[in-house]
Amino acid sequence: MSNSTPAQTKAEPSDQPQQQQKPQVLEEDDEFEDFPVEDWPQEEAEQPAGSTANGGSEHLWEESWDDDDAAEDFSKQLKEELKKVEASH
Amino acid sequence: MATPVLDQFLGSVAELVQNRDGVKLQDFLQIEPPLSDIYMRMIDELRQHYASGPQKDAELLRRCEGLVPRSKGSSSWTAFPTFLKLYLTFLRDVNVGNLLDTYNFLKGLVNQCVLALGDSQMGIIVLHTVLYLSKVLAKLAMGLDRRPDLIANILRMEGQADREENVEKVTLVEQSANVVREAFIKCLTDRTGTPGPQGKPEGKRVGIYLMANLCLKLLFQCGKLRNAEQMFASISAQSPPLTYFPASQRVTYLYYLGRYLFSNNLFFPAQIALQAAYDQCHRQAVSQRHLILTYLIPCNIILGRFPSQTLLQRSEAQGLGERFGPLCQLIARGNYIAFREHLSVRSPAADWFARKGILLALRNRCEILVWRSFARKVFILGGFHGDPQAQAQRGPPPYLYLEKLVVATEWLRSQHGRSLNGTSVAHKSYGSQVISTPTDPDYDGLTDSTGITTDSELLDKFGDFLAPDGFFDDRGQWQENIPGQLVDGDPDPDYEGYQLDPYSEYDAADQSSLLMQEIESILASLLTQGLMRGYLTHRKPRFAIPGARLRGALPTGFPNVWQTISARESEDSSVPGWVQPPASAAFGAGTAALAGGSRVVNLKGARPVGVQ
Repeated sequence: MSNSTPAQTKAEPSDQPQQQQKPQVLEEDDEFEDFPVEDWPQEEAEQPAGSTANGGSEHLWEESWDDDDAAEDFSKQLKEELKKVEASH
Repeated sequence: MATPVLDQFLGSVAELVQNRDGVKLQDFLQIEPPLSDIYMRMIDELRQHYASGPQKDAELLRRCEGLVPRSKGSSSWTAFPTFLKLYLTFLRDVNVGNLLDTYNFLKGLVNQCVLALGDSQMGIIVLHTVLYLSKVLAKLAMGLDRRPDLIANILRMEGQADREENVEKVTLVEQSANVVREAFIKCLTDRTGTPGPQGKPEGKRVGIYLMANLCLKLLFQCGKLRNAEQMFASISAQSPPLTYFPASQRVTYLYYLGRYLFSNNLFFPAQIALQAAYDQCHRQAVSQRHLILTYLIPCNIILGRFPSQTLLQRSEAQGLGERFGPLCQLIARGNYIAFREHLSVRSPAADWFARKGILLALRNRCEILVWRSFARKVFILGGFHGDPQAQAQRGPPPYLYLEKLVVATEWLRSQHGRSLNGTSVAHKSYGSQVISTPTDPDYDGLTDSTGITTDSELLDKFGDFLAPDGFFDDRGQWQENIPGQLVDGDPDPDYEGYQLDPYSEYDAADQSSLLMQEIESILASLLTQGLMRGYLTHRKPRFAIPGARLRGALPTGFPNVWQTISARESEDSSVPGWVQPPASAAFGAGTAALAGGSRVVNLKGARPVGVQ
């Protein structure tokens, strides 16, 4: 305890500005900043060609996400439970 | 001459007005400290020769009036000299040590500049100045908003005004949004050139989206999104197509429009707007792209599309995978209790969603997807998938006994009941049977039943309410009441058998049928929304999937969510608030197909005359 006390007091000055800054950073994060340039051609909006195998048309969204993994825990337990009912019927 | 700097300044302003050079004029009209040396010298001159006072102010105004050209036939631009005089007195008098005074002073200045903007001939010259001053005003208002200590005084005064006049409190941010909205209207209603959706951004119309974006930023900041509705409606009716404006304005506008649509539960158009904002945003603008994704991703999740690993690995998606990844897993797994727990107020994950304003949308809109996954899993594990031998017409269609869903739901509940407090969850005697997680922490400790069985117990507990010493009657007269007597009199004997509990007629044996009814309603909802396909039978509760021979039971009974929703929503692909070029001009991009799409007559349901 006697060791930790001076260490804590020492840490305080550097802690305080951090605490003050923290909410500010969060606020900034939520603000849609002004762009430094007014206009740009569409090419500069797209990911540089060559960085991906198929150019610009990258696969960004998963339309098929159904979980068919019967080996996963939730499915296994659910299967056991449903079996019990069938056995008792 | 005793005021060389001021003379030179006014001379230059006159020249800029003459040349209609709005960009340079804005550059001249600096207000933000630190001001350069030349401004400080001009301020000194103002303080020496035009010290505060009505007479000196009038002299100053006369000097400013000389700057405006008096063109033949049109009235002179009187709003501008007044504005310029106000600008000079602002420099002379403002005390930036008092931010609230500065704010009010600046608001007056912006208002006057907006009046100058209103001139049909000359107004456009101050467009850039209006924008610049509005931005400083916005920054100041938002800064003050974060420092309640500085505005404690007016908050207190407004609090008193509220009580007296019962008016809605208008914050500084909202006030400045209202000022900017005036400027927006001046830009939108400029009549030069061809106005309206057929026109091009000419004259003051070049400022439409600059002003709209600033106004939207402020409205989002002060939580008055509803005030934006009229703005979007005016844009739809009067603005030239968005595509004619610079990329920075388009992206910013589509971002705010998308968020507005999202908060109005219009997720499909919101998705189109946000996706367009993302696609057109400069690839190096990481912070803007990050914010767009923060709303584009939940929008897609609600519509049944999850972010891919490719997307989540992009630099602008940093941190978003850990927010949305677990949510997507929970939706696909189908454990509705785990899903509810993840988004409950007690969950550490919910805090971030709440701060972004997307918690309730996710909670309310994604749960149906969780139930679809759950029903799908139970069907895979416990349903009848159709007889592969009976290729002929005779075999029954694939089906699932809903009893299995009931059992699975009960099992889920017991699992979570144990994990929550070590005991298994008992049946509830009323209310929703699928809710098993603890509700609002405020209601902790309240039980389903009060445990009261006799009248005397009831009076012991609620006597002060049911049988008080007296009461005020309908004319406001005090009436004494005999102690122990119900103020409303004894209940009519006809109603004695009734209780205010809609489930009171059920006994314990009916509990599973209560759950069954709820499961049936959930499946009916899934079927109505097209998220499951087939029909329900009620007598021996089943979900049946007819017509599954060709494609198989799973794809038929549980069609792809995104494809289902997007097929339905694409019938009307216009996005309210987003002005597109007239259809004839929209060759090339997908807009032509989109614009024409709604005009295609759907003949799917048409039948020859006379055929039943």
